[in-house]
Amino acid sequence: MISVRLEPENKDVCVERAKTVTQLLHALGRKPGRALVIRAGQLLTPDLNLRPDDHIIVRDVGSRG
Amino acid sequence: MKCTRCSDQAVVALPSHHAAFCAPCYLVFARRLVERAIKEHAMLTPEDRVLVAISGGKDSLALAWMLKELGYDVSGLHIDVGIPESSPIARGYAERFCTTQAIPLHILDLQSQGLAMCEVKKRVKRPICSVCGQTKRYFFNTFTLNNGYSVVATGHNLDDETSRLMANVMRWDTAYLSDQGPVMPAEKGFAKKIKPLFRMTEFETANLCFIAGIDYGHAPCPYSAKASFPVYKRLLADLEDIQPGRKIHFYDAFLQRGRQGFASAETTDQAVDPCVHCGYPTSTGECGVCRLRTMMKE
Ligand code: SF4
Ligand SMILES: [Zn+2]
Ligand SMILES: [Zn+2]
Repeated sequence: MISVRLEPENKDVCVERAKTVTQLLHALGRKPGRALVIRAGQLLTPDLNLRPDDHIIVRDVGSRG
Repeated sequence: MKCTRCSDQAVVALPSHHAAFCAPCYLVFARRLVERAIKEHAMLTPEDRVLVAISGGKDSLALAWMLKELGYDVSGLHIDVGIPESSPIARGYAERFCTTQAIPLHILDLQSQGLAMCEVKKRVKRPICSVCGQTKRYFFNTFTLNNGYSVVATGHNLDDETSRLMANVMRWDTAYLSDQGPVMPAEKGFAKKIKPLFRMTEFETANLCFIAGIDYGHAPCPYSAKASFPVYKRLLADLEDIQPGRKIHFYDAFLQRGRQGFASAETTDQAVDPCVHCGYPTSTGECGVCRLRTMMKE
């Protein structure tokens, strides 16, 4: 189970099955190129593999006015 | 995924540029995008004194950081619009950033001008964002001209510019289409305005902030309107997924071939004269901000 913090809402969710960053974003209804995916202070590209015990931050980049 | 420049592990993938970059190479890439924008549109010279409009959001901070990196003479102006739910947070990000980066920051507090937007909102009938936007433009402009700055720079990114362009196209708003662009020259009492980040998407500015260690926050304004731009941003983002590079091509082609067609259709002969009270250029005798001041005093 991968634990995810969604920003900017600061909401915590868990994702059951996601082998890659792309799959994780898909499970969260997001797309590459619209959110930063961060693990242990490092940015991840969509192709990277995830581990079941990963803690990930998914930070939407959209801004308003 | 490997870095396109040095083959190290990449941290940012950019299908629009058919590229991926490690952190150090990403900074080089971002720098080149901004340098290209500045050069192609003659935005700045080394002699310019640049005033950056610093809202405290990621784009304005990325802009100030990058212009300083490029060696320009940069100061910031933060306008505190006086909205209790969001203004102190935004101001805090602007102040901390400028302290860390040793960038001189001016703060202009609309409350001290009798124009706190939380009070203005109770009195005006127009949409508050239109009044707030007009007021901010007024103060950025007058501050630039009155304090010896030669140009004001804003953090508008490619998503801002293309969504606005698309909104203008959908309405065939020829007046806006004739003068939308990354540079507004100094004329008729207005300061020169530039948008050096116009080639960068908001994904790219967010990555720049992360890699450069810029702390930016999320302080949504409670009055933030349901403008049409977010709809177009989403549509364009979906289009970009199918056709990588579409956004910048749409915008570049508009600047190269589209805009001039609208410019010739627009005869902008509307007389602009100094405001009778403050001297700000206006076509209505008394400028909008002076009218607002009078109304707020009543
Ligand atoms: S969302 Fe509207 S009211 Fe709020 S700061 Fe922006 S322009 Fe002003
Ligand atoms: Zn590299
Ligand atoms: Zn005036």
